[in-house]
Amino acid sequence: MKHYPYSVPKDVIGHKLIEIARDNQNIVVLSSDVSVSTNVEMFRKEYPERFFELGIAEQSTMSIAGGFASEGFVPVYVALAIFSNGMTWAQTRQVCNAGLNVKIIGTHAGVDDGQDGSGHHATEDIAISRVLPGMTVLSPSDKYEVAAAIEAMVHHAGPVYMRVAREEQPVIHSENCTFPIGKAEVLKDTGDDFAVVFEGSALKQALEGFELACSRGKKGKLVSVRTIKPIDRECIHELADSVDTIVVVENHSVLGGLYSTICESLAGKKARAVIKSVGFLDKFAESGSSKDIKEKYGLSAEQVVKAME
Amino acid sequence: MKTTGTIDFDSLRRIAHDNRKKILDMVYSGGSGHIGGALSAVDVITYLGECVIDYDSGERDKFLLSKGHAVPALYAELHHLGYIEDGELQTFRKINSRLQGHTNLHHMPLTDITTGLLGQGLSYGVGMAFAKKLKNSRDHVFVMIGDGEMHEGQIWEALMQAGHYKLDNLILIIDRNGLCSHQPVENVISIEPLRTRLEAFGWNVKEINGHSMEEIHSCVSGLNSQFGKPKCIISHTVKGKGISFMENNGKWHRNVPNEEEYKAACEELRLSGEETI
Repeated sequence: MKHYPYSVPKDVIGHKLIEIARDNQNIVVLSSDVSVSTNVEMFRKEYPERFFELGIAEQSTMSIAGGFASEGFVPVYVALAIFSNGMTWAQTRQVCNAGLNVKIIGTHAGVDDGQDGSGHHATEDIAISRVLPGMTVLSPSDKYEVAAAIEAMVHHAGPVYMRVAREEQPVIHSENCTFPIGKAEVLKDTGDDFAVVFEGSALKQALEGFELACSRGKKGKLVSVRTIKPIDRECIHELADSVDTIVVVENHSVLGGLYSTICESLAGKKARAVIKSVGFLDKFAESGSSKDIKEKYGLSAEQVVKAME
Repeated sequence: MKTTGTIDFDSLRRIAHDNRKKILDMVYSGGSGHIGGALSAVDVITYLGECVIDYDSGERDKFLLSKGHAVPALYAELHHLGYIEDGELQTFRKINSRLQGHTNLHHMPLTDITTGLLGQGLSYGVGMAFAKKLKNSRDHVFVMIGDGEMHEGQIWEALMQAGHYKLDNLILIIDRNGLCSHQPVENVISIEPLRTRLEAFGWNVKEINGHSMEEIHSCVSGLNSQFGKPKCIISHTVKGKGISFMENNGKWHRNVPNEEEYKAACEELRLSGEETI
């Protein structure tokens, strides 16, 4: 199995926002008392006049972002996903209803805030954000792709939600990679037995599952969806016509997440592939390292291979 | 802010009176709408439209009607200002209309905010007030909430945030008509002592009779020269004001008058209109 360098994707957020804000005076960053955990504390130090600490008040912070956007700014609200997304659905819905240019980053995607327990796990954020009309939903994988996705989201008109992993992820992209919103990326292609399709914070398990399957003699593809909404229907339909099994891998509930998105995109279409899911079943998890939780609750390389049987 | 010379209070009263009739007509013809809270808020909204908010300007003061169900009052004033045509008022709450049931940016950008979920407007005001300071703008942001809306926790988040950052370009107007959807605010969950609470959150608080154009003008114009704190006007009003059988009657939060009631209301407004003139 190939060895990759590993890093924490969320750690690039502050650096990238500082870089973008240097040329874009309209960027403001909003925090609800988690600027250290989310790596935007460095933005406060670099651009204190464009950093707004709003306290543990997520609902109001989301609507304040809407107020900034109404005045022509590009507010980037950064918090743990369970806060910036989970605590703010009604406010986010109103932002989408108005079509405001608000950018939301949710760190510690899925069970990545493992030890804090099920109350801090963000395993429904894809489901509750993608149903909102006008919302774009991104799930970049490694640190370079997260940086590229931040650049893309800031230049994209309209509300965007992006989930970012806290668990270390293999670095598979180069520093100068790009992030075209709406386009999936075929990372590896050795044949047509299977395709492992994943959202960014499940990169590690998807990649290891892909390599494990290949080491056992199967040939297949590894596909990063990158944009959950709008889903790359063309890519998904091509995959469904070309492989025997599509295994959808997500650090999220299997209800309403990427698996649901892919099934919806294929509904009504005659296709070759069977669609299988690897993610969290309909139950709350528990405290533990995110690695241990993922293994216990069904997100692992072994589960990816097992889904192909 | 609009540059106004001498304020003609009689003229303002006449416009507000006409706006009351338009509110009644909108709700009656639309067969739906919140008439009581629109009638309590309409004097302040008329004043702001006539004397403060320059809707012709791109960069301008903003008015956020967080209690968006009172939007007939705003549509009536926007009609008076010429942004809504005569026949259009009859389309209120009907399919394909610009006149949505709550303020809506897509359908009517001049309303400055999309509402429909109470409690969010003050936070938008906080964001806009921050933004205007970043732009070195001298514009103000006015937000009107209902007193019952103060039961929403997000209001108190925003009150804390505005007080902490001393957003003195933010003016909150509380339409203190005393009624929630159908019963007294104080019976549901008390918000008193309101003024003390707001002052403790770092706000500069004034109280007025929200149906007196003189008091509205005196308070709003006086606040322009006060700095260092966000400003709040507790506007004491009567829900259903101007139509006696609707006044202070929770039934008229969102009741639609039948033909008999509509005719009685029209007659009462006609008579009070003659008095105004």
